[in-house]
Amino acid sequence: MSKLEKVFVIAEKNESIKELCSGAAQLGEKTGLIWAGKKGAATKADTVYYLGELSNERILEHYVPTIVNLVKTEKPNLVIVEASKKGRLIAGILAAEMGTSVLTDAAEITVDDSAVITKRMVYGGAAFRTERSNAEVVVVCTGAGVFEAAETSAAGAVVEVPFIASSFEIKCVEKRVKPGETVNLRAAKKIVAVGRGFSAREDLQLAEKLAAVIGAEVGCSRPIAEEEKWMVKARYIGVSGLMLKPDLYVGIGISGQIQHMVGVSSARTIVAINSDKNAPIFRQCDYGLVGDLKVVLPSLIEKLSK
Amino acid sequence: MKIVACIKAVPEEQDIVVKSDYSLSFERAELKVGQYDLNAVEAGVQLGEAIGDSETIIATVGTTKLKNSKLQKSMLSRGASQLFAVVDDSLESVDSYATAKNLAAVIKQIGDVDLVLCGEGSSDIYSQQVGAMLGQLLRCVSLNAVSKITPKDGNLLIERTLEEEIEVLEIQLPAVLSVTTDINTARIPGMKEILAAGKKPATLWGASDVEIISTSCTEIISTLAPPPADRMKIIYEGDSEENINALLENLRKVM
Repeated sequence: MSKLEKVFVIAEKNESIKELCSGAAQLGEKTGLIWAGKKGAATKADTVYYLGELSNERILEHYVPTIVNLVKTEKPNLVIVEASKKGRLIAGILAAEMGTSVLTDAAEITVDDSAVITKRMVYGGAAFRTERSNAEVVVVCTGAGVFEAAETSAAGAVVEVPFIASSFEIKCVEKRVKPGETVNLRAAKKIVAVGRGFSAREDLQLAEKLAAVIGAEVGCSRPIAEEEKWMVKARYIGVSGLMLKPDLYVGIGISGQIQHMVGVSSARTIVAINSDKNAPIFRQCDYGLVGDLKVVLPSLIEKLSK
Repeated sequence: MKIVACIKAVPEEQDIVVKSDYSLSFERAELKVGQYDLNAVEAGVQLGEAIGDSETIIATVGTTKLKNSKLQKSMLSRGASQLFAVVDDSLESVDSYATAKNLAAVIKQIGDVDLVLCGEGSSDIYSQQVGAMLGQLLRCVSLNAVSKITPKDGNLLIERTLEEEIEVLEIQLPAVLSVTTDINTARIPGMKEILAAGKKPATLWGASDVEIISTSCTEIISTLAPPPADRMKIIYEGDSEENINALLENLRKVM
């Protein structure tokens, strides 16, 4: 694979820096990291473009004109933006300024000469789209799990970027912790997913117990999150763009509807437990057991706890 | 307040057929209003009602399939007053930059718009980019993940639901906001609303009326359904102790 000359990363969260910068180093000769927040947290690129601290007086959105100006001046061939809410916004604004589109939710990123090719899910998971951009500055949005987080030997020279004020007013009145749980399925190495096969909410604890003994995160299918509302939406697998790559996926009471299965199709091993032997998931799994989850799960939990 | 809610007409996903070469056929898939755009329309209508003396206008861009009266009624039966669209067959599957550019052109032509609302993303391609781009192209405040909008002395107080926190911002108008799917529950129009929608004004511009772009900056190489993965498919039928043990043994091997 050919390499680009200069690849930048815009990371919002500390824990994404390493992975995205490793990706940048795979795709480009020289890497740059654009970062706002704790100084010194970002050291994984050849050059760290430090924007400044984050506070209620200065949120990431206030740095957008500074970021746009920096990218216009430095002209990296590719900017990889973290696919967080704020990252997506910045990617869109930046691309609009550069007169191009964003290659979003890239599950694969490759370089072909000076073009960047990405692959992503579309139509709610029914298909994968391969897209190519030849833009002068290509903007890609991607999340955890796409690149391996390798140790980089980057020296991390820090350049402090002068602040450019925005021409419109955004005042941060308050930040508060989001009620409820936060889940990051993308980062999970093992996933236990529950579906319609669970007829009562209290049975979900069986799946939670199994997840606890094997060290897995719990996910669910669309009906569990959207119809029954038994789980928060962040646990729902089958949303466009949510591509998971766990080592192990255990689907319990999951029928195997296409959007859900595409989301986990990159799992190394797929295990299915379902009482319906005709469930489509049995045609897409490595190991399956046709049986009652209320019999199978307590037995598995007991044996695995030993 | 003059509010514009943007809609994308998307194919009914249940009627998309995967062909034997893994490409997709949309022949049987009729267009419908994008699922997440319904929240943008609802947010506009609710905000307009809260402020008073307001109207919510629908803006959309797309192919001549938008001329379908059932589709237009579906757009207009949810509380909006009228519809503006740019319709040209060259706009088939253009990318998010072209879509944002064209929507910006429509919004400029509507004129004096205070607030533009978009859904979280289109329910077919779901790039979640058009709203962010549109704000920048219209040179105004551009924000996403908006889960609450409240009027405040001519400004707006908005809440954004981010990964770990809720951010409360006060912003000046004009602005482009992309709303989340849980900002509201979009209304389901009844027969009365659908009939009334047929009498609401719908202005359809062509490529000669509005300056549009129909070239994408990204090239689609392919859109293919994933071929079935090669899995081992070792299935144990029945929840006997023996079968559970066999499954357990395999589970231990892969952990």
